[in-house]
Amino acid sequence: MYSWIWRHLPGPRAVKLVQALVLVAAVLALLMLVVFPWVEPRLPFNAVTTG
Amino acid sequence: MSHAQSPVRGWPPSGRRGNPVRTAIRGLGELLVTAGLVVMLFVFYEVYVTNWFSAAKQREATAQLNDTWRNGRGLVDRPIKGAGIAKMYVPAFGPDFVFTVLQGTDQDVLAIGPGHYQGTASPGQLGNFAVAGHRVGQGSPFNSLDLLSSCDAIVVETSDHWYVYRVLPLQGESAGWAAGKGTQPQCRGVEPLPGRYANVAGKTIVLPTQVDVIAPVPGQPGRAPTNRLITLTTCHPQFSAQQRLIVHGVLVASYRKVEGQRPVELTAGA
Repeated sequence: MYSWIWRHLPGPRAVKLVQALVLVAAVLALLMLVVFPWVEPRLPFNAVTTG
Repeated sequence: MSHAQSPVRGWPPSGRRGNPVRTAIRGLGELLVTAGLVVMLFVFYEVYVTNWFSAAKQREATAQLNDTWRNGRGLVDRPIKGAGIAKMYVPAFGPDFVFTVLQGTDQDVLAIGPGHYQGTASPGQLGNFAVAGHRVGQGSPFNSLDLLSSCDAIVVETSDHWYVYRVLPLQGESAGWAAGKGTQPQCRGVEPLPGRYANVAGKTIVLPTQVDVIAPVPGQPGRAPTNRLITLTTCHPQFSAQQRLIVHGVLVASYRKVEGQRPVELTAGA
């Protein structure tokens, strides 16, 4: 999977590296800002009220 | 040496895209490692990142409440959900422990700070001022609730008053209270409550279904209150939602606010 992505990034190695870092940052942002906030209330870790 | 070639036949692999089985298994492995990383990231999010988000929201709520108190506008008897209603100080958790308490206990409100159960008493009033707060993440205001001892102060500041509550005697402390812990200076005004309050201890662990801990008389919904209590609820054990940790306190003092003055309970420590 990762080698497939690496092969399909255009440009020389340095440019590929930059693109790969941007991809990682994008995935992290998606998880932290969208996915996790959506998942969190559906998981039973943080129910603090009674009833 | 007659065999000068590689000791393993076919190794190292010659082509990049060789065996499809190997490719599939490697892909699966990468997926599983990625899934593991995502789970670890979620823990990081829950324990740290939510705190950063909540800190910003809490700062904003506090600024709004200060503004409301300063100009007197927006002060209402029935605050809307999510509005700041009071500030809560727990000197036992350090001099900088202060949170703006908001109206309501929905998830989005609790992400900003501790939430006041709608329908329970207001600060300082007869009945039960009940507040829920997160224990892990989201600013975790009630992270250390289990460390509170009897007689620890919980100070609530409203637009015009300071209310000083103190944690009630814990289970097992009531016997011999008057000659024992009750003699300590910070316990003035704290004693096992009589009558219909006889079963209300300073700290209990209950099931999530036990809503009656926030009743005007805890444990006895429908009965008329004769005391001014505070009740804090959070999850228990940490990282779990199996039970709830409950802290009950009783009002021991209230002061009308004077510009620039703080109650002795805050300035002299716990």
